[in-house]
Parts: sequence; C-alpha cells; structure tokens
Amino acid sequence: MSELTYMLLKFGFLALMWVFVFGVVYALRSDLFGQQVRRVVARAREEQMAARATATAPASTPVGGPRRGSAPPALSFDEEPGSTQQTPPRRLVITDGPKAGLELELPEEELTIGRSAESGLVIRDDFTSSRHARLLHWPTGWVIQDLDSTNGTFLDGARVHAPTPVPLRTPITIGTTTFELRG
Amino acid sequence: MPRSTETPARGVSALTGAIVVRLRKPARLRNLEAPFLLGAILVVAAAVALVELGTGAPFDPSLSWQLLGLGGLVVVVHVVLRVVAPEADPFVVPIAVLLGGIGIAQIHRIDIAEGLTGWDAAATRQVVWTAIAIVLAIATLIVVRNHRTLSRYRYLAMLVALILLVLPMLPGIGKEVNGARLWVEVGPMSFQPGEFAKVALAVFFAGYLVTARDSLSMVGRRFLGMRLPRARDLGPILIVFAASMLVLVVQRDLGTALLYFGLFLGMLYVATGRLSWVVLGVVLFVGGALVASRLLPYVGNRFAAWLDPFNPDFIEGQSYQLVQGLYGFAAGGTFGTGLGRGRPDITPLAGSDFIMASLGEELGLVGLFAILALLLLFVGRAFRIGFSGGDDFGRLLAVGLGFAFALQVFVVVGGVTRVIPLTGLTTPFLAAGGSSLVANWIIVALLLRLSDGVRRGPRIVIESATGDQPRLVVGA
Repeated sequence: MSELTYMLLKFGFLALMWVFVFGVVYALRSDLFGQQVRRVVARAREEQMAARATATAPASTPVGGPRRGSAPPALSFDEEPGSTQQTPPRRLVITDGPKAGLELELPEEELTIGRSAESGLVIRDDFTSSRHARLLHWPTGWVIQDLDSTNGTFLDGARVHAPTPVPLRTPITIGTTTFELRG
Repeated sequence: MPRSTETPARGVSALTGAIVVRLRKPARLRNLEAPFLLGAILVVAAAVALVELGTGAPFDPSLSWQLLGLGGLVVVVHVVLRVVAPEADPFVVPIAVLLGGIGIAQIHRIDIAEGLTGWDAAATRQVVWTAIAIVLAIATLIVVRNHRTLSRYRYLAMLVALILLVLPMLPGIGKEVNGARLWVEVGPMSFQPGEFAKVALAVFFAGYLVTARDSLSMVGRRFLGMRLPRARDLGPILIVFAASMLVLVVQRDLGTALLYFGLFLGMLYVATGRLSWVVLGVVLFVGGALVASRLLPYVGNRFAAWLDPFNPDFIEGQSYQLVQGLYGFAAGGTFGTGLGRGRPDITPLAGSDFIMASLGEELGLVGLFAILALLLLFVGRAFRIGFSGGDDFGRLLAVGLGFAFALQVFVVVGGVTRVIPLTGLTTPFLAAGGSSLVANWIIVALLLRLSDGVRRGPRIVIESATGDQPRLVVGA
C-alpha cells in the first residue's frame, strides 16, 4: 500500500468522524438553536398562514427538529382543503390559573387530567382529585368526562356529569385552572 | 366535496388517521437512531481497519470477530429500546458506541505495538468488558421501568456509595496501583468501585436535594451579598466534603475527590440556584487541596510535575508520563500521524490514563476535537434530557449524571494537557478499564430511561398547592 493511499485513508477517516459529529448536530438542530417561540396569538396567526399554505404546498412543514418541531403529519387530515367544518381542536390553552397562557398539543386519543404524576395534564392544587377528568377524542370530536372527582369539572360554568362534547373556545374549569380547546 | 353527511365521513378519516399515528409514531426516534448506530459501527470498522493498515502487522482476525459480536449486541440494544423505551433519546447509544469503538481501536493499536495478543491484549479484555457493560445496561433498562422508583432508594444509594468508597481501603481486598488505592481485587477480578459510587452518589444527591433544597435555598443570613446557609443545613455538604477529603487522603486520589465534590456542588447549584453554595464549596475544596499538596507527598509531587514538567529533576521521574504525552500531542500536530503510524506506546499507560494523548498523536488536533465534540454532544444530551424532564428527581439525576461525566472528561483531558494537575481518572468510554465502561453504560441506560419518561410523562404540571411560585413548567 502506497503512502498516498494511506494519506487519503487517514484524512478520509478524520472526515468520516466529523461527518458523524455534524450528522448528530444536524439532527439536533432544533435543540441546539432553539425552536420557534410559541405564543398563543402568534400561533393562531401562523396557523392561518399554514392553513393557507397547505392548500398550495401540502409537503411544506415549519422549521423544526425531529423531536417535536413539525406538526404531526397524521394531523394534516384535519386541514383537508374544502372541509367546510370549523378547524378541529388541536391544542389546549390554559386561560386562567397559575399557568395561564401555557398551551399543549392535544394527543391523539385521550388526555388525562388530575393530581397524579401519570396524568397528561397534572394539576396540583387543593381542589383537584388524583384522577379528576379526561378529554377523549371520539369520532364526533373531543368530549370531557368527569372521573367522579370531588370538586367537579365545569364546562362553561355547568358541572359535567356525563361525557359532554367540548366546543371550541369553551372554558373548562378544574380547581383554579381554566382551559379551553382551540384549533 | 361530495359528502352526504359531514360527521360520519370525518369520523372515519379521524379513526384511520389515529391508527396510522399509533403504528408509525413510536418508532420515529428509533428510526432516527438506526442510521446513526450504523454510522457509528462503520466509523469503528474504519478505525480498526486503519489501525491494521497503518501498523502493517500481520492481520489477526480474532478482534474482528469479537467486534462483530459486539456489533450484534449493539443491534440487540436497539431492538430492546424499541420494546422497552421507544421514546428514548436517539443519540446517546450511537455516541457511546462510537466512542467505545474508537477506544477499542486505539487500545488494539497499542497492543500491536507492545506485541500483546489473545487474553494478554487489553483490547480483548476491553471488548469483553464492553459486552458485559452493554448487557448490564440492557438489564438496567428492563429492570428500571420508571426512574421515579430510584428516588425511593436514595438512602440505600448513599449507603452503597459509601461502602463502595470504603472498599478499597479495606485490607485484604483493597489494592494499591501506582500509589493510588482505588482498586478492589476479588479473586481474578479487579475493579474500581469509585466509578460505580459516582452513579450511586448521583442518585442519592438527586433524591436528597429534591426534598432538602427549599431549606437550603430559602433560609439563611445574608452576608456580603450572598445568602449563607444555616449551620444545620450545612451538615450534608460538610459530610460530602469530609468524604471526598477522606478519599483524597487515604486513597491518594485527587481526581476522584474532585469528581465527587464537584458532582455534589454542581447538583446543589442546579437544585437551589444559589451561587453562594458553589463559592463556599470551591473555597473549601481549593483550601483542602492546597493543604493536601503541602502535607501529602503524593499530591505534592503531582503539583510539582504539573507546574514544572520539563524540570530535569522531574523529567525522568514524576513528570515522565506527562511529558511523553505532551510530546505525543506535538508529534501528532493538526492532522495526526495516522492510526498505527505514531509511537503512542512510549507513554506509560497509553491505553488507559493517557488514551487522549495516544489519540491526539495519531488523529491529531482535528481528530481529538471530533472526539471532544462527541463527548460534548453526550453531555449536551444529558443536560437536554434533564432540562425537559417532567419531575424534579429526573431532572436533577440527568443533569447530575451529565455534569459528572463532563467533569470527569475535564479532569482527565485537563490533566493530560497540563491544564490542571494530572490525576488518575479514566476517560469515559475510551480508556481501557472495565469498571469505568460498566458505570458509563449504566449512565447511558439511566439517561435512556429518563428520556423515555420525558416523552411519555406529563405534558404540563400545574402546581399551586402552597402558594409559592410554581416550579415545574412545560415538559416535552
């Protein structure tokens, strides 16, 4: 084997190592350089834009990493062009209480709410039961179900007894926290 | 749209959509991990091939077969992760595999230079230890299904850590190697319990600080712009300080002492956000180290060799190893001599304590920085897992493990490059040494478990029980 070949292999190996390093960094870019700032108002405006954009270019997704940057592709059926219905709820926004302003994306099937750490939305105040309520994604839409909580779950001021459909932007109150579903 | 009724049509599409999500989404991170694992194995294969080519030694296929087996074990890890922790971080395992593989290649290269084969070869033993470490990591992943259970065993973890610290000091099983009493020898097996103590201590500190941090950070007198803790809250920090000084004095190991104490201070700072603790701790440690350097000849020698390594009185003695390592770095230059083409074996312990010098000589500055970048990425993942963790124990544990890892790298690389006095810690994943490998793979398993918990855990935690400001915010 000639010296030249070994030289090339040596530099090739160094390059290979750096390719790996930059591969990891590239895959992590959203973690390293931060994600889009999500604010309630900005998000709403952005989504209107996105809804318009998906009509022309369905493949375009917002900048983001593999962890949670882009919107789940499976949810795109909700934005089928031509759907006359109102946009289905995709996130839960906390409108009142100690964490007002926070929002989280709704999971696919159900979101449990309560004091226990296993809940999807953990609310630890003096009025919340450990398994307080849950939001269920029924074929007809999202419903709220009270799980026999001590202090109750209130949809638009009325106590929930049976699974009740949750319209968009209708306040649900649990303890000191109020949230609503938004598109 | 020719839909007769809107609702049922939408319902059907929502239902099928949900099914598609369930099938595809859990594997997303694992599918990201697979190509990186493959890439890591490829780089390791290239490194071993380059070592064989560079040294020109007659090809011995045994290591290749062993590495093939190890590659199979890595695939097993990947498959196990798909089952028990599908949402775990996808970069931790590939980085660990790559670092470990480069370490094995370099150890193999030094074996060739020293003419060691078979079971005498350090590379063979390293491969076996890696296999054991990976199996134990898999076992950890399977046994620890929820990291919160660990917090229940925090005082047990403290006890285990203290026993592990004391073990090398016991007569009969304790063994002194190169002046430091870090080893335990049981029959043919010898290991460094200090490496495992690191993990146990991180678990204990995380569990302890979650409960104790409020009294640590809120109460106390203000003095010179800092809030000084109460005397009764000072207890634990003094105990840990005493333990690490005991390590320093009895085991004569500055590096391990620095590691334990640094781990505690780092986690204390993360838990309380009080700089005064760190200042206090650093002052205590620097003071203790200075006193030790005056009183203990072993530490004093290390300081002298660090400050003046090229002194003719030292260069054949206490600073020989350090100076040979520095010459190795210099011989490597920017791009290195190439794997197998340098003389890293001149440095004593070139495969273990001085593996960074060996790698620096043969891969050069460019290669060494690639390795440091990988170590940095690993630490970054640990911090990221801690940052997005759902519960305080998990956050503290991830950050503590990451910080201990980073501190260990700093102490080793700083020692070899003469930034700080040389100490006897091992470079994580790279250096020859079974205990270190096992401990670090257990750290990998814990980080995987924590990151899986992060993705599955609560999205938002709202706390308003006692009226104080809520601590936990948005998770992943």
